[in-house]
Amino acid sequence: MVKVAFWQNSDCWGCHQSLVDLHLQLLPVLPALEIVYWPAVVDFKYDSLVARAPGEIVVGFIEGSLRTKQDVEGTKLMREKCQIIIAFGSCSCYGNVHGLANQWSKEELVRRKFSEVESIADGSGGEPTQHVPGFEDKIVNVDKIIKVDAYIAGCPPRSEQIFGAVGFLLGQKPFPMNDLAFCNDCSLNQSGCLLDAGKLCYGPITSIGCSLKCPNAGNPCVGCMGPAKTVSARASKLNDMTKNLASASSGDKKTSNEFLSLFLNVPLMAGFDLSADILKQVKKRGTPETPLANLPPDTVSIASNVLGFLRDNRDLIDISNVCDTCDRIIGSKSTMTKVKRDYEGLPNLEDCLIEQGYICMGPVTRAGCGALCVKVNAPCSGCYGQTEWGVNQAERFAETAIKGFNVSLSKDELLAQVKDKVGTFEKFTLASRKGG
Amino acid sequence: MVKEIEVEPITRLEGHGGMRVVLGDDGKVQDVQFNIQSTRFFEKFVEGRYCEHIPRITPRICGICPIPHHLTPTKAVEDAWGVQIPEPARKLRQLLINAKQYSSHLIHFYALTAPDFLLGPMADPALRNVVHVINKMPDVGAMALKMMDFGQRLCAAVGGKAVHPIAAIVGGMKKALDEDVRDKFLKVIDDQIEMTKKTVDIALKVIDDYWDVVANVGVVPTYYVGMTNNGVHDIYEGDIRIVSPTGEKTDYAPQRYLEALGEHIPEHSYATHMYYKPAGYPEGIYRANTLAMINCADKMATPLADEALKAMREKVGTNVIHHTFAYHWARIIETVEAIEMIATLLKDPDIVNPDCKTLDVQPREGNGVGITEAPRGLLLYNIWSDADGICKKCNLLVATNHNIAGIEKTLMHVAKQVFEDKALDGLKLPDPWIK
Ligand code: SF4
Ligand code: SF4
Ligand code: SF4
Ligand SMILES: [Fe+2]
Repeated sequence: MVKVAFWQNSDCWGCHQSLVDLHLQLLPVLPALEIVYWPAVVDFKYDSLVARAPGEIVVGFIEGSLRTKQDVEGTKLMREKCQIIIAFGSCSCYGNVHGLANQWSKEELVRRKFSEVESIADGSGGEPTQHVPGFEDKIVNVDKIIKVDAYIAGCPPRSEQIFGAVGFLLGQKPFPMNDLAFCNDCSLNQSGCLLDAGKLCYGPITSIGCSLKCPNAGNPCVGCMGPAKTVSARASKLNDMTKNLASASSGDKKTSNEFLSLFLNVPLMAGFDLSADILKQVKKRGTPETPLANLPPDTVSIASNVLGFLRDNRDLIDISNVCDTCDRIIGSKSTMTKVKRDYEGLPNLEDCLIEQGYICMGPVTRAGCGALCVKVNAPCSGCYGQTEWGVNQAERFAETAIKGFNVSLSKDELLAQVKDKVGTFEKFTLASRKGG
Repeated sequence: MVKEIEVEPITRLEGHGGMRVVLGDDGKVQDVQFNIQSTRFFEKFVEGRYCEHIPRITPRICGICPIPHHLTPTKAVEDAWGVQIPEPARKLRQLLINAKQYSSHLIHFYALTAPDFLLGPMADPALRNVVHVINKMPDVGAMALKMMDFGQRLCAAVGGKAVHPIAAIVGGMKKALDEDVRDKFLKVIDDQIEMTKKTVDIALKVIDDYWDVVANVGVVPTYYVGMTNNGVHDIYEGDIRIVSPTGEKTDYAPQRYLEALGEHIPEHSYATHMYYKPAGYPEGIYRANTLAMINCADKMATPLADEALKAMREKVGTNVIHHTFAYHWARIIETVEAIEMIATLLKDPDIVNPDCKTLDVQPREGNGVGITEAPRGLLLYNIWSDADGICKKCNLLVATNHNIAGIEKTLMHVAKQVFEDKALDGLKLPDPWIK
């Protein structure tokens, strides 16, 4: 059993709802977890958490934003008690919409809510002070106050993504592994091998069994079948190449990013980046047993190389974005000639929303959700967080849109038509703005 | 010596809260506090936002009931701008909010409440949780999970995401249901109705087992707040209704809410205290949520639920019910209505009609009010828009908030029963189902 704790800062419970939405799928996982703190579900009190030994808990999930002094105190307590801290959801990764409050002083916030609102009717008012924790002046994201080991972004993160992360931490692999490596079946094995041509392809360590869609289209294998029990002859070449990912091409980096997510069963890896090598941490402790430990040494070494690279390069420039997972046509028959507000008209379901005139944050937002909003005809508003930091987000959106999409406006024209820039471009991330 | 009993945190509670009971030397209860320890200032930071973006921000108020927090501000902006929506959009929204009602009430019943009743209130805290219930009663557990799963998947299908939906837009809905998706839900709807009936049986048995508790603990006369559509139970549209402790009913159109609903700022909670303005504070403290809704309703909107309501009123013997433990019962009646509504709406061709959005929507200056009934109580948004459709100001009366003062009043009552009258000592508790 692995000791797990869930801590909730100022939040909405949605990340937990998303976890619980796994419903029947949760049943096989639950027996492996010993939940030692989770106010939403389990009756342990705060004192019991304080009483635990440092590092006694293996994995701690932190949900919510740092709005109150209690949030800050509890977050630090969790860091002390847990070996691995996961920033769970966009609140703890980025501060989320609550960070929009940073545009005002604490006094202004308090005044509106506790003194000014129209429904206060008996002359009462002012900030409550008895047995309440007090507010922080500004919201910051969790990794500004403690070291975070892994991030699961999303508001909320998709259930499958949480499942993947938990499964990974428990060392579970739900899909079967076949004996042979993918190269054995690959249509490019005899001639046209991508790896031989110097392109990263994870076929040598991946299991056979898929429909060969990727190599048939001339694309590398990204490992979605999971590990094979044996490796092909090209594994050592792959091992060498993954030792040197820093100098790899941007396409190779993207392949590697995708590989990790699929191969390690952390689906949609872009929403689960690692700032520490969890694989190594889990292995060092010896428990829980990870099946990766029973794999061919080449496989373990390659996975570690890629993990290590991701650990040291969190801001991967070529990280996948929401457009990469969106079915709509870019370069469609439509062209943005003016910026439309969301309430105007009704877009068609085929063409890219930007090209139909709407501000869709897809191209500047990390992949992970599978373009959920766009599927119901609503533009992406960026809840998985930005693909690039430390730059002016409004300008970056405009530049990206003009470069990659049918847009007949100049950058200045486009931006002049967006009146609420902070709410449009930094709805979920204002609290974690870096520079820019 | 004055003694203070502290519960920190209150578990299985949406939000962050603690509780304090202060006892004097004489053993009398001096004070009871329900301390809500967090708030995030949504009413302030939506200022300056595009009004149509508010429904994409405020669902984050509550991840368990984000759907009312998506639909209610949408309705408020429609009210402010004078926008009508097409009939298919209205039905899609009703389907969406009922799907949420269904899954939320079931989560509440099975995950938040059932552990207390099935294991008994004296059980080991390490075991008194839904995980243990699932392990010990796998059939019931699997059924509960199947029902919640249905509700959440339906929310996702109509709303785009189950948690933090996006499909509603000022003027209607961005997309209707696809026919093949609709068909998948239709295929299992009879199954769901059967499981709901089984849940009713479990709930009635629990109520029977605990009748001594239901009838004697926490019977607290208060006002109630809810909404009805001309007297009929409705969670998507209607007027605010207040029921007095003696059962008198008064209706207010949403735009007149300031005549009825007052807010008191306590010193010990970030969630404010709500009360019925004409009666003043604290006399006018009311309760919200399922029992309040049931007390407001002349009748339920669907046949099975209406029968269940009649049966409840007969058993308790009054039309306005003050029994706090009857909240669970009321919740089950609402669950029945939700699944019946879902069944009817799924069969309605309008929900696959792509004509679900008014194309010509124009912002205008004004202030609009929207209400719905969220699973935890009445939800109200008042949004002030400028001529460009940018939010100037916003007032929010959220569901749990309506209940805070009422809960505190109930806790005071129960604390006196427990510490002064030792009323629990003589109570008949059944053998727990799970030992
Ligand atoms: S990240 Fe989103 S879903 Fe999770 S707690 Fe924060 S607001 Fe809720
Ligand atoms: S901008 Fe939006 S609609 Fe266009 S491709 Fe990207 S995610 Fe899809
Ligand atoms: S489409 Fe954008 S806003 Fe919607 S879930 Fe995905 S990242 Fe979040
Ligand atoms: Fe809620």
